[in-house]
Amino acid sequence: MKTFIMGVAVLALATIAGESKPAMAQGGPAYGAAGCGLGSIVFGNKPGFMQVFAATTNASFYSQTFGITSGTSNCADTGGGAPAAAAFIQTNREALAKDISRGNGETIKNLATLSGCADSTAVGVALQKNFKAIFPSATVSNTMVSSSVLTIMREDKSLACTRLI
Amino acid sequence: MRAAALLLFFVGCVSAQGRLTRSILVKPSEDRQAYVRELKSKARAKNLAYAQQWLRLGHWEKSWTGSYESQADGENFFLSKDGKRHPELELDATLDGFFSELQPFDAKAPENKPLQHPRCQFPARFMWLSQQLAIDQARLPPADCSRFEDFKKSVAAESATMVFSSYYLNNPASAFGHTFLRLNKKNDEGISEDRRRLLDYGIEFSADPDTTFAPLYAIKGLIGAFPGTFRKLPYYFKVRQYNDFESRDLWEYKLKLTPAQLDVLVAHTWELGSTFFDYFYLTENCSYHLLGLVEVAAGVDLLDHVHWPVIPADAIKTMFEHDGFVEKITYRPSARTLFRYRIHDFDGDERTAVADLSEDPKTKLAMADGKERIRVIDAAQDLIDIRFAKELAKDDRESEGARRKQLLLERRAEILSQSEDLTPPVPWSKMPQLGHASRRLSIGAGADFNTPEYGRMTAGRWVSVGARIALHDLADPSDGYPELAQLEFLPMRARYDFATNDFMLEKLDLVHVLSLTSQDRFDRHTSFEFRVGSERIIDEGCNCYAGHLEMGAGLAFGTYGDRLTVFGLVHTHIWVGKDMDGIAHAPIRAGLGPGGGLRIRILPELISLTTGEWVWLPWQTGFHTWNVGTTLRWQFVRMLALDVDARLQNKTASGVVSTMLYF
Repeated sequence: MKTFIMGVAVLALATIAGESKPAMAQGGPAYGAAGCGLGSIVFGNKPGFMQVFAATTNASFYSQTFGITSGTSNCADTGGGAPAAAAFIQTNREALAKDISRGNGETIKNLATLSGCADSTAVGVALQKNFKAIFPSATVSNTMVSSSVLTIMREDKSLACTRLI
Repeated sequence: MRAAALLLFFVGCVSAQGRLTRSILVKPSEDRQAYVRELKSKARAKNLAYAQQWLRLGHWEKSWTGSYESQADGENFFLSKDGKRHPELELDATLDGFFSELQPFDAKAPENKPLQHPRCQFPARFMWLSQQLAIDQARLPPADCSRFEDFKKSVAAESATMVFSSYYLNNPASAFGHTFLRLNKKNDEGISEDRRRLLDYGIEFSADPDTTFAPLYAIKGLIGAFPGTFRKLPYYFKVRQYNDFESRDLWEYKLKLTPAQLDVLVAHTWELGSTFFDYFYLTENCSYHLLGLVEVAAGVDLLDHVHWPVIPADAIKTMFEHDGFVEKITYRPSARTLFRYRIHDFDGDERTAVADLSEDPKTKLAMADGKERIRVIDAAQDLIDIRFAKELAKDDRESEGARRKQLLLERRAEILSQSEDLTPPVPWSKMPQLGHASRRLSIGAGADFNTPEYGRMTAGRWVSVGARIALHDLADPSDGYPELAQLEFLPMRARYDFATNDFMLEKLDLVHVLSLTSQDRFDRHTSFEFRVGSERIIDEGCNCYAGHLEMGAGLAFGTYGDRLTVFGLVHTHIWVGKDMDGIAHAPIRAGLGPGGGLRIRILPELISLTTGEWVWLPWQTGFHTWNVGTTLRWQFVRMLALDVDARLQNKTASGVVSTMLYF
């Protein structure tokens, strides 16, 4: 809340008041280390009240390229197949983790479609059973998560995830 | 826009330009040139350069002097170097371009990235001109349009949906909303919607700010010094960002477009991808250019219906100006909405279990039954996601939120039973297009009853006029708006006193926000108020006009689904005015004190709001000031409301009856 008031105050008194934290380094694209994690893409590295500004004025601070003609990020493919599935898992990690623990949910269903699996219910059951293998601790990286998930889906032949082969 | 460009020169260049397509065009062969001349004269005969569709394709706007200027600011959007101001020159250059071949260039070099054959770069222009001029496709030179074809294949659009992101809790400024477009993929395999919706692509137009230094950011945004560009993002990004991180509900409006119109939409999206538009928060913003894009495809007037300032919710309303243009409306609940629905039928024990689990995921659960345990664990997971949304989205793996979440998820996964899908009821009354219009005018008749000790007349009658640029206050009709958030931009009120023949300004604020959040065990957000502007003060210390800054914070409590809300806030004020007798007789005043209110939503269109405040003015004449007031507002037809307001301030009682026009 304080940050919001700050935000509006600065906006309102922009011409007069100078109080504000200096811009933090924008932080180059963290692609590679963080894979396609949401944090590396949508939020970047910026002070809290700038996020409020961004929400208010609908500006974005994407640290990866999402232009239309200028070459789209590797993290933005939804065409199907293993790389697209990996990007999906990494970006949706938080929602997917929750859905896997529950054995069902929208992210599982969409992942099953992306991977060409026959039955998303069976995918949910298989992933839930392997929760501890996929998420052994809170600190496991996004890329580790995506590779474990894909391995499980690929190796369980009964899931018939045809696009992962 | 020219001024903005000039300013850009001073504040630094924002967008690195690569090479221009027109610089690598090779003059067509003689027989092609002859054909192009033929086409050009045909175009002139039909006056195509000033046809509505051509003007839309190039985003040319006619100015009051009758000249044209395109809103597109990227140089490479024009094949004629004077194309920005001359639709006819651009049309000729476009025809030349279609029949030209390209000089060889290294496609991998970054500065060559913008280079494409004009037919590939401007597929929507090509489609339209081909049709208008019956261009003989056999006479065209070869062109490699694989990049555009890849784009088209990746979006595989079957239909298009306008998406509106609604209010962001505790941030009234977000009540303006946000809009973006979704291209819905073809579904040849008959996969149900819930299994593929996240895989569609969103198309959004947004600013690319190059600074996080707030004052500069604010100024540059207002004068259009940031470039705005179109982007393609998987829909799941937007869902994670809005539904999860910001907990904003999404409203999805499927548009009625024929397959041919959809082709134009995709082609024009591609065209816009190669340029940028100066981004102005209040006018040419996220909604404005999306409407421009849809307008090109659908061939309907949309931009004519928006007014200053362009508010995303108004962009949604615009689409309802054309009967049947919105085919279907769907709702995608936010994380917060899902959680609220999940616990709506929980009993006391279950609520306690949810609260305990969110604090300590290892809490022993009294319920033995697996189904019941799933209920409370699933709810606690949702609560953790909401409470720790920021650190989870930032991928802070060492954080407390990540630790608790991991433990809860492990605990849930041990119960090998699948949770069911959750479908909360759709809050139809909150659809943004149902909201009252964003601007407001009011006119009222009132009277004062006061003791004359401050030099004002007694029992005077007056007429009041009010205006507000945007958007909503707590007594305005509540359909289509967040229930307990107020956001006013440039509200003003003035009065004409019959007895004294005075016309005077009573209040002019730049911005006034009030955000109330009902307290409960799962939501401890504070409520707050912020106001910056100016007002007339009449009390022992002053009868004068003063600048005013107010901040307040406190708590709100609601019941019956926020039909009844009480709130209490502590306010601080600063007033500055040249005729004021303030602290140590200086022209500045400071105040501190409690305030509060009661809001009753009798009906969505009939709301009562009562507020009161006492302000301590230490070391100042008068020592303190206070006021109480009550308002009852009834929206009796869509555009009009009747407002009855009674107020008691220091020693003056006043009453006013007004009519309010939303437009």
